[in-house]
Amino acid sequence: MESSLKSAALLEQMKKHLETDAGNELKEKVGLVYQLNIAPKKIGFNEEIFVVDLKEGKVSKGPYNGKPDATFSFTDDNFLSIAAGKMNPQIAFIRGAMKIKGSISAAQKFTPDIFPKPSKL
Amino acid sequence: MAMRDLINGGATCAVPGSSSSNPIGALANVMFGTSNKAEELKGLPSTGVSVPESSPDFRPDIPLSAIPGSEFETQQSRLPDARSNDFLRGFHSTDHVGFADAWDDVQRPPVLPPPHFAGSEARFSEFERIYDAPPVQPTWDGPPQRVLSSVLHSFVDSGRSGVPLRPVALPMLGLSEGDKQCIRDRSCILARHIYGDKSEDYISAQVNTLLQSLDIDSSRMRGPMPGQFREMEEYWNESQGPLIRPPGMVNHADKWITEFNQQRNNDNPDAWAQSFEQQHGANGWASEFEQEQNQMALGQLRGAAAPNMAMMEQSRMLAHTLSQNTNPNFQNSQFLQFVSKMSRGELIIDDNQIKPANTDWADEYQAQHNAGPASWADQFGQEQATRGWASEFAQEHQLEGSVDEKWVNEFSSKLNVNDWAEEFSNQVAGTDNWADAYDQYLGDEMLASRQKPKSRGVYEFSALNPYVGHPNPLKEGQELFRKGLLSEAVLALEAEVMKNQDNAEAWRLLGITHAENDDDQQAIAAMMRAQEADPTNLEVLLALGVSHTNELEQTEALSYLYQWLKNHPKYGTLAPPQQPDTLFYNDVARLYTEAAQLSPEDADVHIVLGVLYNLSREYDRAIGAFKTALKLKPQDYSLWNKLGATQANSIQSADAIMAYQQALDLKPNYVRAWANMGISYANQGLYDESIRYYVRALAMNPKADNAWQYLRISLNCASRNDMVEACDSRNLDVLQKEFPL
Repeated sequence: MESSLKSAALLEQMKKHLETDAGNELKEKVGLVYQLNIAPKKIGFNEEIFVVDLKEGKVSKGPYNGKPDATFSFTDDNFLSIAAGKMNPQIAFIRGAMKIKGSISAAQKFTPDIFPKPSKL
Repeated sequence: MAMRDLINGGATCAVPGSSSSNPIGALANVMFGTSNKAEELKGLPSTGVSVPESSPDFRPDIPLSAIPGSEFETQQSRLPDARSNDFLRGFHSTDHVGFADAWDDVQRPPVLPPPHFAGSEARFSEFERIYDAPPVQPTWDGPPQRVLSSVLHSFVDSGRSGVPLRPVALPMLGLSEGDKQCIRDRSCILARHIYGDKSEDYISAQVNTLLQSLDIDSSRMRGPMPGQFREMEEYWNESQGPLIRPPGMVNHADKWITEFNQQRNNDNPDAWAQSFEQQHGANGWASEFEQEQNQMALGQLRGAAAPNMAMMEQSRMLAHTLSQNTNPNFQNSQFLQFVSKMSRGELIIDDNQIKPANTDWADEYQAQHNAGPASWADQFGQEQATRGWASEFAQEHQLEGSVDEKWVNEFSSKLNVNDWAEEFSNQVAGTDNWADAYDQYLGDEMLASRQKPKSRGVYEFSALNPYVGHPNPLKEGQELFRKGLLSEAVLALEAEVMKNQDNAEAWRLLGITHAENDDDQQAIAAMMRAQEADPTNLEVLLALGVSHTNELEQTEALSYLYQWLKNHPKYGTLAPPQQPDTLFYNDVARLYTEAAQLSPEDADVHIVLGVLYNLSREYDRAIGAFKTALKLKPQDYSLWNKLGATQANSIQSADAIMAYQQALDLKPNYVRAWANMGISYANQGLYDESIRYYVRALAMNPKADNAWQYLRISLNCASRNDMVEACDSRNLDVLQKEFPL
């Protein structure tokens, strides 16, 4: 997953995380496919697209082949803030820091606890 | 020793002659002589005297009780009050048999005659020799500043020597409320560092002893929640209080609450109000309101015109959408009016504040309420009781949603309005969410405003730094760092760099301390200042590389790691003389591989390689590099943590935990390693364990924002929503009690 985004590090971790027991539980608990359109600075510009597939337990780059349950658009920094629990997804949405397409009930399961937390050197 | 002077009638406080003429001395004699009475006295009501578990025993033929020095504690706990005397006098007035017995004992001369006392005297001096020898006994006179500092020193030293703190009688220090607050808060944090291996009870006993000596009300320490922004709030109130909070406003707020409570108590079955109450306590609203008042004053610095326009537009749309609903209840609701008012610009939202554009909002509310039963709360209650427009709304929405999916799609293309509704329907299901989200929104805003300068690399100093004016804060800071008192070392070092802005060493150590304290933003800010003062310092360059790696800032990290190589006396020649405009990862990595071949015995090169491989997410190589470095530097705790973090990031959590444990064995107060432990447990889905580690880290550094956020997530995942509020209000007392490690 070559990428200049900071989020790529987290998504890489997510990929490995999904192979663990905790990842398997996640598949059972959520079982949805999310597409993330992550922009370096401004939503909609130079987006890189990732798919977090919690049905199959995979993370991949590029648009989903089919219809994802929900698609999110945000900036690199905001995605990291949401995944780290710094920003509430609902608030991010109200502020326009996150855009959502697709099923809202699917979107509501997109919470910080599905992402592993990075450790610090 | 001041303590014994006090008891035996020594120079400082005594009536000359016999010790028995000193009432406190007499009391002490009684305590010594009839120590077995301590058990009886324990259960007496309202004495305010706490008797430690181990009752002191001074008979010379019996070995001394387990904890040396605890005798003094016992004495102290009875000492400081006239209440003890009242208490003894009180025996007369009661009929209780046990009391009478006790009184008789008191009246009799001490059971054991003076020779015995002399015997324990000998014990005393032996103690003094043993325990006083290493730390020089401070004196309690001189200017208040010095007295205070020696008291605090003896507090710190008591941790090192493992002897419980002995209380002292001090001259009046003239501490202000702010000072006391500061000492109270800091001694709590400090104590958790110093007595990391002791029980919570022991720690609080120690802190209480210290606070008692300083005449600080320790009860406030465990009072309800030291809120997140309290320090700032207090500071602000002190200087600006009357200006920003006109009493009238508060009164209105109070009235509102009273009214609200009344409404609730009457007959309204609405769960909403109750859950709000539960969450915030009866005064939660008021305090929130107050906080916002403060925020508002701050917020005026930020421009608000543009968001208002956007808000008007949003609410206009919303009002339009809502008015489509034909339910008459809903049409007449004040909520709709509220929204339409907002859309007409009669109400504006200014930095989270709902403010009337030209009328007094509170007045208006008052007037409306007086007008009759049409008050908003009332109406809400009624509707809730009859049917509840909210749930109706949700139902309708669901119906529509399932019948016609287009509805949703149509809206999402328009604006964000539909999602509001969507969200709203969700809130009805989980009533608490709304308040939660709002809370967090406020928190986020505050956080955002606090973090803005940080992300620009501007160092943020702590308020109320007691080391300002210290003769040699750098030395003090180094000493504190060596002892592992990180939060305290930060303050001392800040005092140094305030005095001496170009002290590269102080800035460097400050940066290192922040990194170990799990605050990379501050670490980066401090290290940048260090680099300004000393641009080629290798340790600074490496630390900057590491911190930027942690923040996932690849370009910056790469640049500092490159400069490390370039400025290194041995490897500098490897770098091309002309620095390339853009650094490519592969080039830098190649240079370091060369360097490692040049001197495979240099642990530093392997460390940098490990960091570089972290940047490129080649974790297996990074782990290899750190392991090589650890063979050369097995005592480097930060290296163990780096190994652990790398293993954790490549999802080898079990290995990571072993590495962190090594780091903590070498440095028990290493906040970052504690926090990382929590992360590793959380990533394995072991949320209960992770909570304990986060709480431990936060007890040592309550400013570690990341750990607070992770703690909240873990609490949610562990279904401990009952503790989320303690987390949001950053109430460590509650959390530590609930989640001991």
